[in-house]
Amino acid sequence: MNGSPLSEFFSSSSADKNPFEELAVVYVLYFDEARGHLPLLIYPDDRYKDDKNFMRPIKYHPIWFLSIDEQEVLDHIDLEFKGYTFFGKKFLTTSKRIKRRAGLEEDTPETIILIVSLPNNLEIFGDYLIKQLTEEIRENFESKLFEIIESEIGKDEIIKSPKIKKMIENGNIIKEELRELIHKICTNFFSSVIKESDSSSIKMQKAISYLALKGIDVGHIESEDYKDSFSSIQLFDPTSVSEPRYIKKGSFSIIKINIIEDSQEIEILVRNNKETKMNDLNLKITHVKEYFEKEVMNEHIDVWFPKEILLFISPIIPHINEYLLIIMQAQNKERLLSQRINLDLLKKIKMKNIR
Amino acid sequence: MSVVNESEEDIIIRNYRTSDYIATLEILKELQNQYDIGLKEEKWRETSGLRQFKPNLKRITLIAEVKSTGEVVSMGMLEAVKNNIGQYIGYLNNWATKKDFIGKGVGKILADKAIQILKSWGCESVRINMAYEGDRKLIDIFGKVGFHPIIIVLEKKFE
Repeated sequence: MNGSPLSEFFSSSSADKNPFEELAVVYVLYFDEARGHLPLLIYPDDRYKDDKNFMRPIKYHPIWFLSIDEQEVLDHIDLEFKGYTFFGKKFLTTSKRIKRRAGLEEDTPETIILIVSLPNNLEIFGDYLIKQLTEEIRENFESKLFEIIESEIGKDEIIKSPKIKKMIENGNIIKEELRELIHKICTNFFSSVIKESDSSSIKMQKAISYLALKGIDVGHIESEDYKDSFSSIQLFDPTSVSEPRYIKKGSFSIIKINIIEDSQEIEILVRNNKETKMNDLNLKITHVKEYFEKEVMNEHIDVWFPKEILLFISPIIPHINEYLLIIMQAQNKERLLSQRINLDLLKKIKMKNIR
Repeated sequence: MSVVNESEEDIIIRNYRTSDYIATLEILKELQNQYDIGLKEEKWRETSGLRQFKPNLKRITLIAEVKSTGEVVSMGMLEAVKNNIGQYIGYLNNWATKKDFIGKGVGKILADKAIQILKSWGCESVRINMAYEGDRKLIDIFGKVGFHPIIIVLEKKFE
């Protein structure tokens, strides 16, 4: 296939509004007795429904070719394609739509296909997500989906009578309600699914790391009171004491960072801005490799005097340009400073200053 | 002229601050003139004496300051280095006292504090780097407080 990778389709500005938009795409489709497999709604954005490349894995998903009976045994059908997994579910809903093929009655049920696509790194969530979506859609739209189908068929009519126009209008309202429901489920899904997860699963930890990299809030995992929290998952090291996320801003600040190319080191000057001395602290420098946090440096500072500047010299790893500096209390792991260090950016600034 | 020893009450031992740059530079220059410690002014930066944290290395520059005047009269660098067999060894380097304060016990107050710090860092022993062609009497003086020569370090300077 010569088309663009699917991820390229999700780089729209709308992705800023909802971080999950680039993670999960939900397709609600139906089987049209006259025209075959057709989309009803694509969440987050309908505009790709006419894009052949984008719709190819959807139109030829094996879910279309399975009967409801076969599918019930399998729960749902997956298709892996270009780094994404497409989870498919077929179900029937009631209908009062006049069909356009002989042998089909007005009350012949509508065949609805629900497909959820997730990056392969998150495919572990697919089962839950499609199950939840199917249940919610069936519960709330069981007797309404045919009206969206009528409305979509009506849109293709060349001459739109007042009756058709009314039907389209009605269908659009239901469609928006459906979109809102999907939006709500997707927005809440990732945090809610973590609640019931098994922390011993490497696959799950990998998926959560992926979410963390995408900027999704998985902070509860690091919270010190994780035992009382809704999740049993701990990232990175399940045996270590977890770290709370809240940061008292301003206690410490990075004054300067020097890259020492010759020795592959960085010098970081950090100041204690407080008027009081701080005892028993740890400074960690880490980077993320293959979704897991790797520690480059971990220094214990028994006492940090008021306004004192300390010099930390950390090794840097070849080809790794992004590091995270964390200062925390050694005992309760309270974070006092958390700062990302991007070496590429520092080099660019240095070059600019030289010029 | 009688020598008046400085007491611990008269001297403040503290860690280096960037505001000590000029005073420490002066002391290091004196040391350079006497022993050629390899001082290059541009390499002794304002931040060079700060407490340093690096994997397997801790470094601090101690300052002795006269309490009444705030004058920096002595300095010494100490570091703890983890060796190949996992032991931390403490080193006292570039120990220098202003000419007018030599022989007044300032160096000893500073060294006692340094040894306390090295112990708290978990060092198993402490070593003093001395100039080979320096004052031999110093070996006797250090010998009285438990320091004995164990190694001779040979060095070749690169062109």
